Amino acid sequence: MDVSQYLGIFLDEAKEHIQVLSDQMLILEQEPDNQDAINEIFRAAHSLKGMAGTMGYKRLQRLTHDMEDCFSAVRAGQLTVTSEMMDVLFQALDAIEGYVDTIQNTSDEGDNDNDSIVNELNRILKGEAAGSGDAGEAKKEEEKKEEAAASASQSAPDDDKAIYKTIELDDTQRNVMKDAIVSGKHVYGFTVYIQESCLLKAARAFLVFKAIEEAGEVVVSSPSSQDIEDEKFEFNFSLFAISDDDFDKVKTAILSVSEIEEAVGEEYNEEMLDESSKEEAPVQESEAAEEKPVENAPVPVSAPAAKESPAAAAKKPAGKPVVSRTIRVDIEKLDTLMNLVSELIIAKNTIVSAAQTGQASGNNAIVENVEYLESVTTNLHEAVMKVRMVPIESAVQKFPRMVRDLEKKLDKKMNLTITGEETELDRTVVDEIGDPLMHLIRNSADHGLENTATRIERGKPETGTIFLNAYQDGNNVVIEVGDDGNGIDVEAVRSKIIERGYASEETANQMSDKDIINVLFDPGFSMAKQVTDISGRGVGLDVVKSNIESLGGDVEVKTKLGEGSTFIVRLPLTLAIIQALMVIVGGEKYAISLDSIQTIEDIPVSDIKLVQQKEVIQLRGTVIPIIRLSDVLGVESSRAENENLVVVIVKKGDTQAGLVVDELMGQQEIVIKSLGKYINCDRIISGATILGDGEVALIVDANALI
Amino acid sequence: MAAELEVYEEDVVTQYIVVNLGIEHYGIDIKYVDNIVRVPQITRVPNVQSYFKGVINLRGEVIPVMSLRLKFDMPEIEYTGKTRIIIIKLDPTAAIGVIVDEVEEVRDLPESMTERQTPDKNDASQLYITAVGKTDKGLVSILDLAAVIGEKEVG
Repeated sequence: MDVSQYLGIFLDEAKEHIQVLSDQMLILEQEPDNQDAINEIFRAAHSLKGMAGTMGYKRLQRLTHDMEDCFSAVRAGQLTVTSEMMDVLFQALDAIEGYVDTIQNTSDEGDNDNDSIVNELNRILKGEAAGSGDAGEAKKEEEKKEEAAASASQSAPDDDKAIYKTIELDDTQRNVMKDAIVSGKHVYGFTVYIQESCLLKAARAFLVFKAIEEAGEVVVSSPSSQDIEDEKFEFNFSLFAISDDDFDKVKTAILSVSEIEEAVGEEYNEEMLDESSKEEAPVQESEAAEEKPVENAPVPVSAPAAKESPAAAAKKPAGKPVVSRTIRVDIEKLDTLMNLVSELIIAKNTIVSAAQTGQASGNNAIVENVEYLESVTTNLHEAVMKVRMVPIESAVQKFPRMVRDLEKKLDKKMNLTITGEETELDRTVVDEIGDPLMHLIRNSADHGLENTATRIERGKPETGTIFLNAYQDGNNVVIEVGDDGNGIDVEAVRSKIIERGYASEETANQMSDKDIINVLFDPGFSMAKQVTDISGRGVGLDVVKSNIESLGGDVEVKTKLGEGSTFIVRLPLTLAIIQALMVIVGGEKYAISLDSIQTIEDIPVSDIKLVQQKEVIQLRGTVIPIIRLSDVLGVESSRAENENLVVVIVKKGDTQAGLVVDELMGQQEIVIKSLGKYINCDRIISGATILGDGEVALIVDANALI
Repeated sequence: MAAELEVYEEDVVTQYIVVNLGIEHYGIDIKYVDNIVRVPQITRVPNVQSYFKGVINLRGEVIPVMSLRLKFDMPEIEYTGKTRIIIIKLDPTAAIGVIVDEVEEVRDLPESMTERQTPDKNDASQLYITAVGKTDKGLVSILDLAAVIGEKEVG
């Protein structure tokens, strides 16, 4: 068998373990006495080590082993958690992540030994424990004792569970094992129970075989190794193995494979082997034994989990556990599905327009069914869209760790709070949103928050707060990233604009606060007096803005000097299909996303007023600037000058604007298509769509107009 | 016959689609040509490069189209029954349409029959030409497609 087929599982699990380590280490740093955290860490580190060993990644294994030693010493109370120690451990975690990344890219762990980190870890282990003798040794002793205790607690295996006793050995097998015993090796019988929630039983079983074969060989197994490979077994399998290692070591090796519930076994001597030949296991008994573990809620006894509280064990449901009803699907398949839905909607639009205009327009059956078809396609689109949605959690979960590192680097005290990480977004958006958010958090940490001394002086809490709040708002998802720091000093930016020659003094002085703040998003403009390696190269906010805009979203800032600033990122729920209002301007058809539209008004020409040379209207007490789309799009309006205006009121955040169009065509579900990379169109055109009659209509991005 | 065969053996032969703009012949390497279509309804796109006529719907895909005449600083003419759009895909994921007056033929041109061209900076149409091929019907200018569709800077 080849290990490479399990590489995918290894990578998925390794990443999970790394995430657990990262999360729990952060908790441990805050609460050095948190036993749950240390146990969790220990378990993850241990599994990671075992997996790395099984897959043959020696460097990864060595590093995790040393890390595990450290945690083990912490757990045993020989080491106290210090900030310096956590730094090293986090470095080690980064190195582990590095290995895993390299493995993902090349299927090989690379040749970076990370000796400095390993040495550092060992130094911590030795140095700290200098008073209490050789800590490493003591710790290992302890570990052994623990393991021994864990195995002792069930060293007299329960006959019901020891299915290996029912394996019928033939003479050759018995002789092989006897020979082994004579030559000083050990023979063991084992029954291994796999957790019932396990999805890849065969892979687990394979890893168990592999673990045993590191120091020995499997003589016989039940079911046969071929059946196990084909997953033709329940949640347990039994085997006889010859090994050089002692019983505990073999057992620990088996239990180090993930998702192994339990391993029941004992060592065989020659007499026992002879006996087993006489003992002809009745068929019923073996059946009963196989059913047993299903009926009885299995008690977790695996060594790393041995410390689990009884309460946790009791939580395990009796009887059959709920099998997770999910499948993993390649994102490409979902993309294909989405494309097909898009095409279906275009075809549906064609039928709809034919039904409205063609000969069928009087036929009730057709009209009714076309309406039915419309609702089905809309529901289908929503369903496919929901399948593509994932929580933003995966994009934000690395931030607590990042803030911790920034805290050290910047020597500021700060705290990150995240809410709404369960908010869902299209998978593509979630994949892309991590970087912009990371920039914003770095920006808050570096520029937003004052240093500790200033904060105390200003009567603010010593620890600065950075927050990330995500929530759904209509057809958008809003992610707010902000801090309770200094806020943006508009006047300072203004003078910086003049100083850098970004705009003349005159222009700069005329710019509104909003315009000034928007300059921060321009490429190449940085406020930082010093370029640090965290931010300040002027490649932060403009990248944030362009990344977010390429996802069809936008970003705005709210700031109050002295109180902090908030960046509000608004993202569309879906990328491909939207509800739009179709309008006609100068004989051409355009689509405006329904999300941004507030109302549609009929305004007499006499209601238009001029404020600072700009046309505005007054609507229910608010002054709203109007934009004549015909001017922006470079066409002649088909309306007479004195006719009433059709004004589509759109909003972006708190800002409103009125778009003057010639005619309204109605609402339609449209599929967004890109204009391609060759055409350098204005930002006001965000894409195109194909109408029912095959004509192409452009999509006007109201956000870009405001 | 024998002479021709010899040419085939030692030469790299490229197939070109020969198109006409007015009296001039241009060759487009056939391996980048995805399709040749009649001119459908073109939707104008505001505020873009002047030689872009807009976008078309080609079997459900939105594809930008440019006028080769405008790109070469030639006067525009009315579309006729012979006007065609050559759909070019330099990059398999991004198509672009090029409007030409007429498609003449598909022609094999051995490399020995073409001559590299140093672009004449004063003639707009010369900027987009890599070589000139000799045929029995006259000269064919081989288009530098990357330059034509704006993937690389010229001039």
